[in-house]
Order: sequence, then structure tokens, then C-alpha cells
Amino acid sequence: MLFSGIPFLYYFLPCVLILYFLIPKNLKNGFLLLSSLVFYAWGEPRYVILMVAAILLFYGFGLAIGASTKTWLRKLWLTGAVVTGCVMLGVFKYADFALDNWNRLTGMSVPLLRLALPIGISFYTFQCISYAVDVYRKDVRPQRNLIHFGTYVALFPQLIAGPIVRYVDVAAELNDRQMKWENVARGLGLFLLGLGKKVLLANPLGELTSVFRQTGEQSVLFYWLYAVAFMLHIYFDFAGYSEMAIGLGRIFGFRFPRNFDYPYISRSITEFWRRWHMTLGGWFRDYVYIPLGGNRVGKVKWLRNILAVWLLTGLWHGAAWNFVVWGLLFAACLLIEKWLPVQKLPDFVRHIYVLLIVCISFVIFNARDLSQAGQDIAGMFGGLGLPLISTPAVYYLRSYGILLLVGIVGATPLPYKLFHRCANRWPVLGWLLPVGALMLLLVSTAYLVDGSFNPFLYFRF
Amino acid sequence: MEKVTWKYGMAAVLTVWLVLVLAAWLHEPNAISLQERRPLAQFPEITAENLQNGRFMEDFESYTLDQFPARSLFRQIKALTHYYVLGQRDNNGIYLTQGQAAKLEYPLKEDAVFRARRLFEQIRQKHLQDSRVFVSVVPDKGYYLAEENGYLAMDYDRLFEIMSGMEGAVYVPLTDCLTGTDYYRTDTHWRQERLFAASERLCNSMNIPAPNQGEYRPTAATEPFYGVYYGQAALPMEPDVLYTLESDILEQCTVYNYETNTTLGIYDRSKLTGSDLYEVFLSGSVSLLRIDNPNAQTDRELILFRDSFGSAIAPLLVQGYRSITLVDIRYLSSAMLDRFIDFYGQDVLFLYSTIVLNNSETLR
Repeated sequence: MLFSGIPFLYYFLPCVLILYFLIPKNLKNGFLLLSSLVFYAWGEPRYVILMVAAILLFYGFGLAIGASTKTWLRKLWLTGAVVTGCVMLGVFKYADFALDNWNRLTGMSVPLLRLALPIGISFYTFQCISYAVDVYRKDVRPQRNLIHFGTYVALFPQLIAGPIVRYVDVAAELNDRQMKWENVARGLGLFLLGLGKKVLLANPLGELTSVFRQTGEQSVLFYWLYAVAFMLHIYFDFAGYSEMAIGLGRIFGFRFPRNFDYPYISRSITEFWRRWHMTLGGWFRDYVYIPLGGNRVGKVKWLRNILAVWLLTGLWHGAAWNFVVWGLLFAACLLIEKWLPVQKLPDFVRHIYVLLIVCISFVIFNARDLSQAGQDIAGMFGGLGLPLISTPAVYYLRSYGILLLVGIVGATPLPYKLFHRCANRWPVLGWLLPVGALMLLLVSTAYLVDGSFNPFLYFRF
Repeated sequence: MEKVTWKYGMAAVLTVWLVLVLAAWLHEPNAISLQERRPLAQFPEITAENLQNGRFMEDFESYTLDQFPARSLFRQIKALTHYYVLGQRDNNGIYLTQGQAAKLEYPLKEDAVFRARRLFEQIRQKHLQDSRVFVSVVPDKGYYLAEENGYLAMDYDRLFEIMSGMEGAVYVPLTDCLTGTDYYRTDTHWRQERLFAASERLCNSMNIPAPNQGEYRPTAATEPFYGVYYGQAALPMEPDVLYTLESDILEQCTVYNYETNTTLGIYDRSKLTGSDLYEVFLSGSVSLLRIDNPNAQTDRELILFRDSFGSAIAPLLVQGYRSITLVDIRYLSSAMLDRFIDFYGQDVLFLYSTIVLNNSETLR
């Protein structure tokens, strides 16, 4: 079930909200867990068992680590937890990639598993692993209440697309959270903002990228149009979904961490990754990069650490070589930024550099395979001998011009700053926020009812 | 001030949302959408199998979309936002230009056009060795509207070139006999009362008398005609007025429907109160029909392989034939033709629109 779908907006969510606010406080977590399992089963009836197994296993690991006094035993349980998480991901996400490459390399024909990827497995597995590590480090106490722990893992607002919420972020709220109208109002506002970004910006831009693939008459302009549209599409798709998740969390009394902070205004790739999918970047920093030694090691080991983190970041996004290349491209950029005086370049040049690298990276990201990625990049730079412009490119540029402009401006903090400056001067403008939220609800509903294009990119992670 | 704004403003938003939720829950399901001319999804059956394989969830989503309260209004809000606020050039592939709604027909699918031509050639080789065979293409209205107004258009010249190459058939071009205004503003089809030039071209090519415009009386339907693009675009448009041509010859003609074994007149006036008024012409989508002209001055017969465009123009060919058999191979497989039709040297016209030729997978 997608947040940006009529079944969720008009059936599931209202039912859950009404019951949630009616039932006694001590039953709320149990109810949230049950609702989350129903939410998950709606999209993946078979894999609810996997999720329940993950909850039980990591609940057990947490208790075992917490109960062990000897370091070697704690390490053993932690290793068990990490291996369990890796096995889950390995079997369901990476096995076929590995087997396919093995078969290509050796000429053998080991049969592929062909298992469907359980929705959200990358997110909830990472949450489970981080919980076990945090308990091992004694950053948090193990959760003794299975219902509370299950609620943490399966909580539907962040179940399928993050943000990756660490146990420490919500531990207190799992035990006791306040039901306040202000939280509901703020959460609803944020949810509707995210819904608007997803439905009104990301979906139409996604349509443009689909049209590009279906059109025979390509040109350099069309390749660039595609690349820019996809860059905006993926941002509004994912950032919109994250905002919906954070908003929902707030309605239920949770404070989830922010996941995006205007990444396209960055002036370096390092800064970009501090603003893009912040919870994933933070996870790799705290659970991979720093445990490996971070940058407080020799150059060779530091290089190894950087490559390991970005190889894993690439693979986290998908089991294919283009994701590996995508991750390593960022590793290369980060190394260049460390070694060369990129910071001394004028801001304007640094912005262009970041946007260009990110644009190319997402072309690689969205390609079917490396061959298509190479072709797309060649097409952007005139390497395919295509004309500069073509009739469809001009048509779609005119058709999507306003949307692209709205997307570009909306990806910067400019509208937010402008609004707040005006609202500070004329407080009555504050009413525009709920009016805007209402418009977003109605227009997004209208787009959904029309049965428009409504995929969600991060479902596959 | 900001807290007050949020407190009361978001309470109002929540109230509107809950009202919509209640409306969605209590809404009485509709069977069909007249505007979109399709049956609407109904509440799916709950079975263990449907729940397990996810079919129930998919069907429930379709149900919620189709049965959403004030669906037409919401579709219109979307269309207006999409078209006028976000400046998109088309909505659901439909665009408005020069007062006409038209569909983007792009790109040309050469494979599909060649497939259609091969199918026609196979029919000719198998059944029509003794017949005079003609082929003609009805341009969709995009031919006249798209390119000059900056919309994407298929390579029409290439399509006509492919069809004119049909083996053993005389190609009859029609593009110069029509203009953009010869089509309904809200529909894909051409207007019968504007087809004299096109029918004259066909008649001259087939060497039969052309219809005399003075003998025909246009009669307006009393109901407004909301064409297929009206529903698809969901944009505000005035309805069309549908005209049928009356004449002494046409009044005497009968139409035999092989599907229902019934005989009607040229116009099925019961359709003038239905969802698609264009079905008044020869009862709409019927796989096999025969028009008999008792006042014919000739024994010549015509077999017309056609799509829905043929329904409006066939009455303007009838003065030259004793009978016209209309075959729609979208609904009747061409492999079964000889089970229903005797071929003995009748004239044959393949008359298909660019839309069908470019999507020829519908031809069987």
C-alpha cells in the first residue's frame, strides 16, 4: 500500500487514526503493530512471516546481548545479529546478482533463486542491525517488551521507505508519548506537503522520464530533459515520501529524523551527502565507516574505508552493477574533494559541478544496466551523433516547462524563506499554510482519482 | 498567531478530509461512467485465494479509484490543474486547439501499419481475386490540427505511402477532401454532413454515382453529443450537435444485423438517448452488417472493410450499390470471413482510420 494511494488515504489511515485515538494508552503500541502488519500484508502477504521472524530474532538478540556480561559472548550475539541481517538481505536481495555474476564468470549455470524482493527489507533490516549494535555498545537498553520492539521495527509510517529510524531515536516515545493536537496538526501539514511533492511533482516528472524511453526520436536536448526530469523526480519522490512518513510519525506522537535538507543546493559532493538521504548516510557513517577506523587511520586504510562505504551504499540501492558504479562515482568525487582544493573554486562553479555530477549519477542509477547508462551519458554529450534538438524534445520541454521550473525552485529553500519573510511581516499570511494544505489534499486526491501514473521508486529498496 | 493558525486551520483541513472519508465509505457504487464510457470497478470478492495472491488488493484499489465520490469533479480539478495551472500541453493525451479536442497520435508505428497492409493483402489474395479492390485511409483530426499548432504528430505521409503500396488495390486519397472542422469537436469521428467531398472522391474512384448533396436533409439530434474526448480530457467543453443525413433513398434502405438477426433502418435512433450518440450510425460497433438498397439502379454490390468511421460514410455510398456488406475485422476474425460472406466479385473497399492502422493489433 502506498501512502499516495486512495486506499491508504481514505480507508486505511482514517480507520487506524480513529481507533488509535480511541483506544487506551496501554494498547496503542499493540494496535500500531497490528496495523503495521496489516499495512505490510496488503502489499506483501507472504513476507509478513519474514518480518515477524525478523522481529522475534532481533528481539532475542537484543535481550541476549543485554543479558550477557562477558564481552566475547556479547560479541558472539552481536555477530549473530549482524550475520542474520546480512543473510536476510543476501538471500532476498543479492543472491541472484551474485549467482548471475558467478555463472557469467565461470560459464556455469547455477539456477537463480528468483525470489521477489520483500518490500522495505533494506530499511527494516538496517534498523534491526542498528538496534543490536546500539545495545552492544550500551547506547540503549534492550527492549524487553516484544510489542514495543515489534512496533519499532514494523511501524508502518517508516516501514517501507524510511527514514531509517534508529531505536535510540524513538526508544522513549515507544514507552510514553504525548497525544497533542499540535503534533497532529503539524504532522498532517507535513504529510500533505509530502503528498503534494509526490503526486503533483514527482509523478508527472516520472511520466516524462517514461515518455523519453518510449520515444524513438531522441536528441541531445531530450537526453538532458530526461536527466534533469529524473533528477527532480527522484528527489521529490523520495523526499516527498519521507516527509509523509515523518508527518505520520508526528501524528502518532513520534519524532522521526529528517531525511532531506535541500541537497541540490550543495556546493560539494560531501555536502550533498550530508543533505541527501541523511539517515542512510548517518547509518553507514556510524555503523560501517567509523567502526572501520573512519579517517583516523593511514591513507590506505582510509581509502579502503571510503571505498567500502560507497560500495555498500551503491549496493544498498540495488543489486546491479550500475548501482555499484553509482556508489563508486561518489567515492571518487569525495576523494577528489579531499585531495584537491575544490573549496577554493567560486560558489557558482561548485554548484554547477555538484549538479552535473549528481545529474550524471542519477542517469547511471536509473539505467537498466551499465550499457544503457553509457548510452544515456553519451547521448547527453552528443556522443551518439544525434541532432541537438528534436520535435518531441521541444514539445515535452514546452509541456513540462512550468513543472520543471516549479521543481527547480521547489528543490531550494527559496519558497520557504520567502514565505516566512512575508509571514513575519504580515502574520495573516500564516493562514495560507492550512489553505495550501487543503489545496494539496484536494488536488492530490484529484490526480490520484484520475488514475494517474503513481509508482514509487524506493519500493525496490 | 502561528499556533492559532495551525490549531484552527488544520482542524478545518482535517474536517474536510474526514467528510471526504465518510463520503467515500458511504458512497453508493455506480455501475458505469457515462463520461468515460466504461463500466466501473465494483467491490472485489473476498476469498482466501484473492487475499493470498494480492488480487483483492489490486481490485480494491481500482474500486476505490472508480467509485470515489464526485469522481467527475475530481477528474475535472485534475485536468484543469494539469492543463491550465501546470501548463501541460495535453491531459491524458488529449489536447485542445482551435476549439477542437484531439488526441496525440504519435509516433507512427510502421510495423503496425505494415501488419494491417499485410492482413488486407492476405484477405485480397484469399477471397478477392475477382474483385475490384480499393483502399483508403481516413486521417484522424490530428492530421489537420497537430503539427500547425505545435503538437506531436505521427508521420502521416509515411503512413499513406505504406497503405498506397497495397498490392492489387487502388489507393484513394482523402486528405484533401477534409479539414479539421469536418470532425466533431469533442469526438474522434468525422461529421456525416461534411462528408460529401470525401464520398464523392470514393464514388468517382469506384466509378459509381456520387451522392447529390441537394437530396440530403441534415437533421439535428435533440440530445447534446458529448464525444469520447470530452470524457477522456475531463476539460470543460461545449457539447457537439450531431446531425444525420436524411434522404428518400436512405429512408427506403434496410440494415440487416448478422449478430442479432434483426433488421433496422440506416439510423438506430434508440442510440440517440444512449451514452454514445455516434452509435446512431448503423448501430455502432457491429462486426457484420448488410445495407440493402431496394431502389438501386444497379446489381453492383460492395464489401466495405471498415472501422467506426465507415458507419457515417457508408450511407453516402449506398446510391451506387444494391447492397453494401460492412465488415469490422476488429470483431470478426478475417480467418472466418468465408463462413459469413460469399465472395463473388463484389467491389471491395478497405476504409480504415489512421488511428486503427497505427494500432493494428486490434485487427484480427
